[in-house]
Amino acid sequence: MSKVVRAAVFQTAWTGDKESMIQVHEQAARDAAAQGAQVLCFQELFYGPYFCQVQDKAFYEYAEQIPEGPIVRRFQALAKELGIVLVLPMYEEEQPGVLYNTAAVIDADGSYLGKYRKTHIPQVEGFWEKFYFRPGNSGWPVFDTAVGRIGVYICYDRHFPEGWRALGLAGAEIVFNPSATSRGLSGYLWQLEQPAAAVANEYFVGAINRVGVEELGSNDFYGTSYFVDPEAQFVGEVASDKETELVVRDLDLAKLREVRDRWQFYRDRAPGAYEPLTAP
Amino acid sequence: MPTAPEPALSVRQVLGLERVLAGEPEVVAGASHLDRPVRWVHVAEAPDVGVMLSGGEMVLTTGVLLAGDVEAQAEYIRSLHRAEAAAVVLGLGRAFPAPPDVMRRAAERCGLPMVVLHRPFPFAELTEEVQSRLVRRKFAAVSLSEAVRTALTGLITAGAPLQRLLDEVASHSACPVVVTNLAHRVLATAGERSAVDDVLRDWERIARQAGGSEGDGWVRAELGGRGERWGRIVLCGYRGDAATGRLLADRAAEALVLHRMLGGSAHSWEEQSAQSLLTDLVSGVVPARQLLPRARAAGLPVNRRTFVPLAVRDGDPAHLDRVLRMLGLPGLVAELADGATAVLLSLARDQDAEALTTHFATRLRTESGGGGKGVVAAADPRILWDDVPAGLREAQHVADAVAETPAGLDVPVVVRLRDVHLRGLIRLLRDDPHVQSFAERELDGLLCGGGAADQDLLPVLRTYLATGRNKSRTAQLHHVSRPALYRRLEAIEARLGVDLDDFEQAASVHIALLAHDAQQG
Repeated sequence: MSKVVRAAVFQTAWTGDKESMIQVHEQAARDAAAQGAQVLCFQELFYGPYFCQVQDKAFYEYAEQIPEGPIVRRFQALAKELGIVLVLPMYEEEQPGVLYNTAAVIDADGSYLGKYRKTHIPQVEGFWEKFYFRPGNSGWPVFDTAVGRIGVYICYDRHFPEGWRALGLAGAEIVFNPSATSRGLSGYLWQLEQPAAAVANEYFVGAINRVGVEELGSNDFYGTSYFVDPEAQFVGEVASDKETELVVRDLDLAKLREVRDRWQFYRDRAPGAYEPLTAP
Repeated sequence: MPTAPEPALSVRQVLGLERVLAGEPEVVAGASHLDRPVRWVHVAEAPDVGVMLSGGEMVLTTGVLLAGDVEAQAEYIRSLHRAEAAAVVLGLGRAFPAPPDVMRRAAERCGLPMVVLHRPFPFAELTEEVQSRLVRRKFAAVSLSEAVRTALTGLITAGAPLQRLLDEVASHSACPVVVTNLAHRVLATAGERSAVDDVLRDWERIARQAGGSEGDGWVRAELGGRGERWGRIVLCGYRGDAATGRLLADRAAEALVLHRMLGGSAHSWEEQSAQSLLTDLVSGVVPARQLLPRARAAGLPVNRRTFVPLAVRDGDPAHLDRVLRMLGLPGLVAELADGATAVLLSLARDQDAEALTTHFATRLRTESGGGGKGVVAAADPRILWDDVPAGLREAQHVADAVAETPAGLDVPVVVRLRDVHLRGLIRLLRDDPHVQSFAERELDGLLCGGGAADQDLLPVLRTYLATGRNKSRTAQLHHVSRPALYRRLEAIEARLGVDLDDFEQAASVHIALLAHDAQQG
């Protein structure tokens, strides 16, 4: 039996200041709700520039407590008003000096469901993330939202199949992958890895990447956000590689069962043989 | 289909040459590998010939230095195999009166085609024949490549549009040619119409597949430059040989990249694609049903959708497209011939078409910095694709009618047929000679007036009637005092010989004025 979820992701360019960036995202939530979207995920570190292009402690200021901080509160009220599930990728301060790259998940009634902290933290040219974030310690939470079971896997995480699998085992039906990734670096991977994860784990993936070149560096963020189904088919078009775009797509979750009845990956996996994978 | 043959001959093709057939060739080993390309023909009697080869050679020998040494015979075959020779041809005669079993078995194990000639002839004749054929083939490939490149470059320098380039490519490929952007949206096609439609019908399945596979004559070439990829060109079901297909696709890709770089705007191909589709839809020259595959391939969702035809006067298509993306509304945007921009929204059936149209129009107005620019004219939503052309024409008609509304009057953010009332009807009838003579008769006194003082009487009359004969509003809009307005209205009445306080007379003048304006528009 079909169960259609109207899901959305939003990609945009850095506006130049935090408040206007938040307002752009509030408007996007309203635009998504106007179309009847039931869930919306923003891009990684959504209200800031991608400051990891430089190593500057001034950007620690972008971090705030989750869920006690003002941004989560503000979007909880909006989620409640619009009746939409929101996934908010943010910079989290647990306590001074303990900072994470985190996504907060808000249910359609505005209640805070929990957070995922990015597990794999890169430290390569233009992506100096170890300067800003501790590796996540949240495990692989899957959130039981008004529209279904939702997981989050942030940016660089996507190169590691293990987390995708853990989210699948925990029952995720849609996994969002908010990212900030640049043209020269990952262009050849972007339409390969997440579709592969969707196929391997038999769920939907929503991939989001910001757009534009920001003042902090030369990273050319190439957007092209999309939804992909458990058969690696893009749901509708892939978004622009340059423009701000709201991607609203109808995902028929019945496809999960259909594909899983066809391919029994979860039955046939052999965890007993995987010990070497978890050896330190 | 002008093709350049493969630059190499296959072993099978060499064996089929008349000169070779005269030698009564017999394949004694490796018969399943006869399609290997022969790059060169080499005569060699040396037992260690393998070290002299670089792969792809057909080696001709009489085996004179191998006779009697079984181990040398087997090693000879193995060395050819290691050197990736294409085949070995042994002329039977004094050294080997019959096919040597050791060599045959060794060749069979290696999968090396081994051929014996029962009636050997001078090898030089064969090398000459094959070599000249190979050279001719290479020349033909270079010559086709040059011909295609010259033709395409000529078109580019002449400023030809993308479509003309693709038509040229299709004339060489004799199969559908499709250009897509990174989002797999079909931007342009060329080739025989029905074959193109067949390809587009299946495009959803082909294009949505992440990755994609080669084979079945689908030849793809990436389009990009300066480290950025934009899309690809695909020859769909090319029936010639693979090398020629590759050559054509590569030449076409080079030309398209050059065309795009010289042409400027990054969006122009997308715009051109939407423009040709929407223009065809509006014109009605091609039945809507036949345009459905193109619409689907252009990225417009078409299954179980509600279509909302819109027209925006003075709208910049690129800006409208940006607003649609920002709102996440799927649609096509293109400027049509008469200066109006058509927008075709495709909404899910459960969505509120009216509310989303208003949402779009409101945002368009905000993003344009307010003001009356970019008034959105909307036709009623259409459930059936076949009704879309009429809807687009209706939206255009409403946009034209509303464009004649005097400046300064409030216009709703979305204008529909019911909002243009009489103005809409008059616009439809504007070419009727009876209406034209009626307008001239009614307005004769004003239209024939010559003095400079008469110049603004027509605009005053227009505003006065459009505001429902509201004197203070008219005075305000024309920045004149009320007494000054009264004087002008009196002048108008005198010229036209009417009493504007009389409803029927005022209505008659109003209709005449609307007809006059519609004829000017």
